[in-house]
Amino acid sequence: MKLDIGGEERFDANIERVWEMVNDPAVLQRCIPGCKSMTETGSDQYKIELNLKVASVGGTMEGMIGLSDKTPPSRCRIQVEGSGTLGTGKGDAVFELREENGQVVMKYEGTGDVGGLVAGVGQRILKGVAKHLVGKFFTAFRGEIQKAAA
Amino acid sequence: MSAAPRKFRYISSDRRVLEDRRFVVGKGNFVADIVRPNMKHVALVFSPHPAARIVKVDGSEALKMPGVQYVLAGDELAAAIQPMPNGMPTPEVKRYPLAVGQARYVGEWIAAVVADTRALAEDAAEKVKVEYEPLPFVVDGKEAFKKDAPPVHPAHGSNILLDKTFVWGDVEGDFAASPRKISFSQKWGRSSTVPIETFGVIAEWDAWREVLDVWASIQMPKYADQIAGSMRLPMNAVRVHQDVDVGGSYGVKRGIKQTVLVCYLAKKLNMPVRLIEDRLDNMRGGDAHGPERNFDVEIAFDDSGIIRSMKMEALDNVGAYAGRSPFQLGKPIGAIVGPYKIKSVQYRAIAVTSNKTVQEAVRAFGQSPTNYTIERALDEVAWALNLDRLEVRRRNFIQPHEFPYLIPSGTTYDSGDYPGLVNKVAKHADLDAVYAERDRLRAEGLLAGVGFASCLEPSGGNSAFEPLLNRQNKTTTWMDSCRIAVDALGTITATMHTTSAGQGHETLVATVVGEALEIAPEKIRVSRAHTLDVMPSNSPVGSRMAIMLGGAAFHAANKLKHKMMTIAAHDLGVSLDDLVWNEGTVSGKKNPDQKLTWNDIVLIAHRHYYRMPEDMEPGLTTQHVMQVPNGGKLPTDDDRIQMYPCFSFEFHVVLMSIDPDIGKPEFRRYVIGHDCGTVINPKIVHGMTMGGIAHGIGAALLEEFAYDDQGQLLTQSFMDYLLPSAHEVPKIEAVHQVTPSPLTVFGQKGSGESGYLGAPAAISSAINDALRPLGIKMNSLPLKITKLGDAIAAARAKEAKQ
Repeated sequence: MKLDIGGEERFDANIERVWEMVNDPAVLQRCIPGCKSMTETGSDQYKIELNLKVASVGGTMEGMIGLSDKTPPSRCRIQVEGSGTLGTGKGDAVFELREENGQVVMKYEGTGDVGGLVAGVGQRILKGVAKHLVGKFFTAFRGEIQKAAA
Repeated sequence: MSAAPRKFRYISSDRRVLEDRRFVVGKGNFVADIVRPNMKHVALVFSPHPAARIVKVDGSEALKMPGVQYVLAGDELAAAIQPMPNGMPTPEVKRYPLAVGQARYVGEWIAAVVADTRALAEDAAEKVKVEYEPLPFVVDGKEAFKKDAPPVHPAHGSNILLDKTFVWGDVEGDFAASPRKISFSQKWGRSSTVPIETFGVIAEWDAWREVLDVWASIQMPKYADQIAGSMRLPMNAVRVHQDVDVGGSYGVKRGIKQTVLVCYLAKKLNMPVRLIEDRLDNMRGGDAHGPERNFDVEIAFDDSGIIRSMKMEALDNVGAYAGRSPFQLGKPIGAIVGPYKIKSVQYRAIAVTSNKTVQEAVRAFGQSPTNYTIERALDEVAWALNLDRLEVRRRNFIQPHEFPYLIPSGTTYDSGDYPGLVNKVAKHADLDAVYAERDRLRAEGLLAGVGFASCLEPSGGNSAFEPLLNRQNKTTTWMDSCRIAVDALGTITATMHTTSAGQGHETLVATVVGEALEIAPEKIRVSRAHTLDVMPSNSPVGSRMAIMLGGAAFHAANKLKHKMMTIAAHDLGVSLDDLVWNEGTVSGKKNPDQKLTWNDIVLIAHRHYYRMPEDMEPGLTTQHVMQVPNGGKLPTDDDRIQMYPCFSFEFHVVLMSIDPDIGKPEFRRYVIGHDCGTVINPKIVHGMTMGGIAHGIGAALLEEFAYDDQGQLLTQSFMDYLLPSAHEVPKIEAVHQVTPSPLTVFGQKGSGESGYLGAPAAISSAINDALRPLGIKMNSLPLKITKLGDAIAAARAKEAKQ
């Protein structure tokens, strides 16, 4: 099933700092919900292992994350593809950074395609779960920014 | 022609159902209750793709886990067994228990993991890595029928399993001569029966005796035959234990792929192996979805509402493999005109494969969708002429004096009194009051409608659709058997030779044998033979057991009675004609003192052979193999055949309201009239009918295996696949009529599908009546709240604009 994700987040930091952090696998590993490991396999290519719980099912997923079309420090495309006991997933998103009133605004927009167990069992709440996971990511990411500033 | 109702001793009396005792106290013997020593458990790896090439299945990580016995993938299995049989001559649509080379639907089983416990097997299944290469897929039936659709089985070349047009009578002539025509399309959505007990099976191979033992929750005809065929074993090496209780089936407990899978594993590992599906295994990969059928219909009729001819096209989306499902388009041919005198019919039956879960038989084997469409036609004719819908039905009914009645497709209906039951129900329900209540509800601001359905239940299940749809298949018997033995101490044991799916066969056999022998049914032991001790029998499907097992038990009991009277006549030195039977005692008609009691005759037969007639076999064992009444013939060259022998009738009146703001339907009144001839056990028939209506409410309003356009099954658990509960099932008032069948031993007809045959049609009729003031009609089932709510909102928005 198809899934649309999009939104805007604001951070109190300078744009170069945010860009650097978004591109730091160690930061991402700490921020991505359920991320067990993230290993660089090539330039801007990462292997990722996730342990997630959606609705009444939990399980693992393994996949690849690729970053492309980079225009530092303002634009990047992220492609994700994975599969595991939770099913299969594919995602394609673009985020853009801009400075506005002393803050950094991150605008992101993408689509996902989910199959297998999660689609079958969790579909009614999948959109909510996706929103929740994205929210968790940014909460953690904000924490990372504060930590770096301190 | 109808036989007159008769008086009975035990038949039709309101007696306890013998099976209930053990179920009520929790002492049933279900497959999950059976434990074999050292038994291993199976969990399954399933496909997340609707279509994909299977590049690699890697079970090495799973096998490293302690307690994991084996990981089986499709290639190994396919090399060792025969494909499971197809109903239709489509040899390239090969079906194995696990996907071979290609996954064809989301949920299809790719690999099986055997471990010491189910939990361990599930954990290990998560470690099995499968590499896929996604392929093009198709989910919609009409799309799958198109020439350029991706074929689910490339070797078969297309998705078409069956595309046959039948013409019975002068359809074109009747259409040309009719002043009025209408056409409509509607769709029966994909639902099923989803019993609380999922499918389960245990297999155990005894290498030294060379016997494969099988215990299963099964309702599959020719089950042992199919196991032997797939496993390449002689049939006398397969022992199916038929005394396993089944926790609900209503058609779908066919489980042949599950069975062949565990049989292979049990033999390969030389360990008892059990597979009990969990809900997800069952819903997505248990291959137990029901019909999903698009109808396109044209009706020719005259100004008084008399229907002269019908053209019906039914396209069934059977899912990824064939099985028996295309035949679900064949069975309704035996009642293709319903209870109406439609002179000619054109019927195009199309079965297509798609990348959805496989279909299996569901209660009434395709008749309920057809009834839904016939009844819609009657409503449409009435609406077109602005006539009362019930009046149009009355004008088209076959009349009581016209039986036996031959319908255009070659089946003769045995008996019926359709107007009689309709009048009884109309009187009971007080139709004027029902309409007044509808109008009162409308005045309150609700949408409200009255629905009708007058539907047939073909019964006495035969398999005449097999030779009709597949001329290579010449099966013309679908027998069932009973054996009765009186032991040396005089007690009676009757043996049946099929499984039960919970229909109360023990009660049936005991009641029938008791009736014939004039002995209390509670005194009769009823047992089930395993398949190495079995007489030729089929399966409790097709609403057939009252007719077939009841008939076999009756004839076997009469043979026993005849033998006992012959012994008595010989011993007393009188002619057989001079004796009477009275509750097991045989005495002279003229001289009642001249008599032998039951125990006297038992003693002669079992011990005192010198008193037996010459050449008579010792002991008191008789048996009967029952052929389906009116069956046994091949179809004619012009595609006519007697499908089932007996025809029960039901008439539903439903009053419903719909909250126009949220689209929520609510039952205000539900009355059913039911006529299944002579009733053998009223409690069983009542239970069947009430359960059937609940099932029909599910199909009409709630239940749907919904797929998204990516081929993902979105309703795999009871969170999303909604079943009717006590909240959704209203109080149901039942009105009875008895029109005996002249073809059966007591005048009984079938009742295993009652309620379900008309409930969806009646509910759809009520909802369309409710929506008429808005100028809209609903053309598909299920009519979920969201669908109704959206349609009502759109109609109101349009109205507001004008």
